[in-house]
Amino acid sequence: MLDETADVVRIAAAPWAGVLILTSLPWLFLQVLFFNRLLELGDEATHYGNALLSTAYAVCFAFILAILGRAIYARACRFAAATGTTPGKEAFRVPPVALSSYFFTATLVELLFMIMTLTFAGIPLAIMVGGLAIGTMELNDRAGIRPPLRLIVRYARNARLLSALFFIFTLAFGIAWINLIAAFSAGLWLASAFGGLEVAQWSVLLSPSNRLFVLLTAAGAAAVIEPFWIAANVILVRKAGTEESGEELKLWFRELQAEKAR
Amino acid sequence: MPRVANQLCANHPQRSAFAVCMTCKKAICQECATQWDGIYHCASCLTAQRKAVVHRSPLLGSVAVLVLSLILLFAGAHLMVRTGALIAGLF
Repeated sequence: MLDETADVVRIAAAPWAGVLILTSLPWLFLQVLFFNRLLELGDEATHYGNALLSTAYAVCFAFILAILGRAIYARACRFAAATGTTPGKEAFRVPPVALSSYFFTATLVELLFMIMTLTFAGIPLAIMVGGLAIGTMELNDRAGIRPPLRLIVRYARNARLLSALFFIFTLAFGIAWINLIAAFSAGLWLASAFGGLEVAQWSVLLSPSNRLFVLLTAAGAAAVIEPFWIAANVILVRKAGTEESGEELKLWFRELQAEKAR
Repeated sequence: MPRVANQLCANHPQRSAFAVCMTCKKAICQECATQWDGIYHCASCLTAQRKAVVHRSPLLGSVAVLVLSLILLFAGAHLMVRTGALIAGLF
């Protein structure tokens, strides 16, 4: 499945991964701003509710844009998986029912994520459900509250595969994060050693001891991983759907054989 | 899947059945069977389902879902601040 994901991302990457990253960056950066402010305030955060709320509204507004980008990219991935070619402008034509359903499920997952953050253990669950929400987006043909949730529950039966995907992408996120930090350090070293530039100030700014830098590189790692994560979820749902109908055919064939044997 | 062996198509009695419509439970041949969402349906049941979907007005449904999502998003912003403040207090 990961091989297929890599193939789909390779086909759909230009220009659709670009659309996804461009629409996700404002959301990621605003989240960084929010968390940085929160950590700056610490215990005092409860006294600055209004100031934090204005940033939270901006995060939510940027989230709408990110949802749109994800929906377009997921559609592009589905086309790429089905045809093996880079999708054209048709990727922009996300059916309104699918888009509204995804908007609803994604918002619900965000809410779930915020509640689960307090428990920490619930975060993986919220991330997995979020993956299924984007994977099943295009299967929604009826606007409503229950149909998209029913679809998510139906595909959540592949719990082992979902857990494996979560584990792999958590690992990939960690590696991407470390690589980004290392890339900045290497860049600084090269600029200082070969370029003869004065990098003392930059070394402080771009060091892991700078909280904002760490948060920004985490956002960067998330932006790098996101195209693969969405493609993997689209492929997972596609494969699970095929297996489902394949299982039915197998059962039917077995029954036919049993009838014949009698 | 219901057994279809030795049964004939409800629409074409000269043909042997291929599947059973999951809605009306009629035996149907390969031509009459349409697989939708992994389940076989006959043409008339599929048409009835399609009409039922059209009657529900997808636009109204989408707008309702969008409004609900916006309310959730608004609640999400408030929850984000409260949860964040709680967590920030821990560090």
